[in-house]
Amino acid sequence: MLNYEEELKKFKPSLEVEDIEDAVYQEDLSDMSDLLKQVMDQKR
Amino acid sequence: MDYTKKIIRQSNYWYNDGLKKARIRDMSGAIVSLRRSLQYNKGNVTARNLLGLVYYGRGEVVEALVEWIISKNLRPKNNLANAYLQNIQHSARGLEVINQSIKRYNQCLVYCQQNGEDMAIIQLKKVTVSHPTFLKAHQLLALLYLHTKQYAKAQQVLTKARKLDTTNEITLRYMHELTQIRGKKAKKPENKGTKKKKRKKETIEYSLGNETIIQPAHRMVKEIAGRFTLMNIVLGMAIGAAIVWFLIMPAVDESKSDKRNREVLEYSERINGLEAQLSAVTRTLDSYRADSADSEEAVQTAAATAESYEALMTASEQYSSGSYTEDSIADLLLNINRGALGENGQERYDDLTESVYPVACSSNYESGTASYNVANYDTAIEALSKVVRMDESYDDGGALLTLGLACLDNGDPESATNYLKRVNELFPDGEYGEEARTKLDEIAAAASQNTEE
Repeated sequence: MLNYEEELKKFKPSLEVEDIEDAVYQEDLSDMSDLLKQVMDQKR
Repeated sequence: MDYTKKIIRQSNYWYNDGLKKARIRDMSGAIVSLRRSLQYNKGNVTARNLLGLVYYGRGEVVEALVEWIISKNLRPKNNLANAYLQNIQHSARGLEVINQSIKRYNQCLVYCQQNGEDMAIIQLKKVTVSHPTFLKAHQLLALLYLHTKQYAKAQQVLTKARKLDTTNEITLRYMHELTQIRGKKAKKPENKGTKKKKRKKETIEYSLGNETIIQPAHRMVKEIAGRFTLMNIVLGMAIGAAIVWFLIMPAVDESKSDKRNREVLEYSERINGLEAQLSAVTRTLDSYRADSADSEEAVQTAAATAESYEALMTASEQYSSGSYTEDSIADLLLNINRGALGENGQERYDDLTESVYPVACSSNYESGTASYNVANYDTAIEALSKVVRMDESYDDGGALLTLGLACLDNGDPESATNYLKRVNELFPDGEYGEEARTKLDEIAAAASQNTEE
C-alpha cells in the first residue's frame, strides 16, 4: 500500500528556465580521471 | 593498457548501453547508464548530448538545456548540442509555454503539501495538456488520482507515463499498486455478484503484462453499429433520391414532352385538314353564289327584254293608232332598254324615237320652263328630265341648264352641279355654257362659306 505522504516527498520541484545558470555551475563535472588524480596526489 | 584508455573505453561502454536503452524508450535506465559514462569521462560529449536528449524526452527541458550548454562549453564546434540549443532558441514561444507548465507543476507540489489535492489535480490536468511529455506531472497526477481513489483515471495517466518512460520505477510502482487494488476488489465476496456480472457484461477486462486493460464490451460496438446502420439508411435514401431526381425524372419529363409534342403535331395536322375542308367548302359556296347571281341577272335581263318588247309594241300600236299624244308615247319609249332589243326591234325603236321625241321634247321643254318660271320646281324637274333623257343637247344646252337651275332652286345642289357641268362640257363657248359656269362658281362659293361657318 502506497504511503501518499512519503510518495509526495519523492517529488522534487523541477528546474525552471531561470535556474539554468545556477544548475550549470552546480553540475558536478568531476570524472574518474579527476578522482584518480586526486588519489595519486594524496598518496604523494 | 593505459588507465586513461580503460576509462574512455568504460565510458563508451556505458554510452552504448544508454543508447540501447534510449532506443527502447527506457529513459530511466538510459539516464543511469549515461550518467555512469560521464562519470568515467566528463568529456564524452556524445554521451552528454544523448543524456540531454533523454531528459528532453521525459519533458525535463531545463535539465536537457543544462547538459547541452555544458556540452557546448566542452566542445564549442562540431557539436550536435549547438543544433539542439539553436532549435530551442528558435521556438522561444514553445519554451515559454514549457516553463509555465513547469512553474505550475512546482505550484502543484505546494498545493499537495497544503492538502489542496483538488486544486493540484485541476492544474496538473492543464500541465499535461500544455506539456504532454512532462513525465513528472503525469506521475504526480496519477498519485493524486490514486490518493482520491479515482483508479480508472489513474490507470489512463499511468499508461501515458509508461509510454514516455517504460521502466520508470515510480510509474511501475504505481501501476503495481493499482493492479493490487483491483485484485483486492476482484477477490471481495460475491455480495456484489449481480453488479459484477452486469459490469462484466458491459466491460471486458484482460491483463497485458502488469496492466489490467478494461474496455467496453459489445454495447458500444452495438451502438456504433446501430448508428452506422442508421447513417447507411439515410445515405441510401439520399442517393436514391438523387438518382430519381437526376436520372429518372429527366427521362420521365422527356417522355412527357415527346407525348405532348406528338399530340400538338396531331392537332396541328387535324387543324390543317379542317382548314383545307373549310376552304374547299367556301370555294364551292362562292361558286354557287356566283352561279346564282348569274342566273338572277339572266332572269332580270330576260324580264327587261320582255318588258322592252312589250313597251315597244305598245308604243308602236299607239303611234299607229294616232289617238295618243307624243308625250305619252315618249314615256313608253323612255322605259325601253334599247340594248335588250334585237336588230329589228332596235330599228323600229329608232324609227319611233325619231318621229316622237322632237315633238315630245318641245312640249315637255315648254311645260318644264313654264313650271320653272313659276317656281314649280318638281314639275319642272320631271318634264325637263324627260327632255334631257330624250335629247341631252336640246336647245343647245338650254334644257340641261334649266334642269340644273331647277334642281338648284329646289335645294339639290349636287344634281344641279352635275347638270351644269355637263352644259359646260357640251357647250363651253355658248351662252348657256357661260351661265352654267357662273352658277357653278356661285355654288362653290356658297359651299365654302357653309364650311367656314
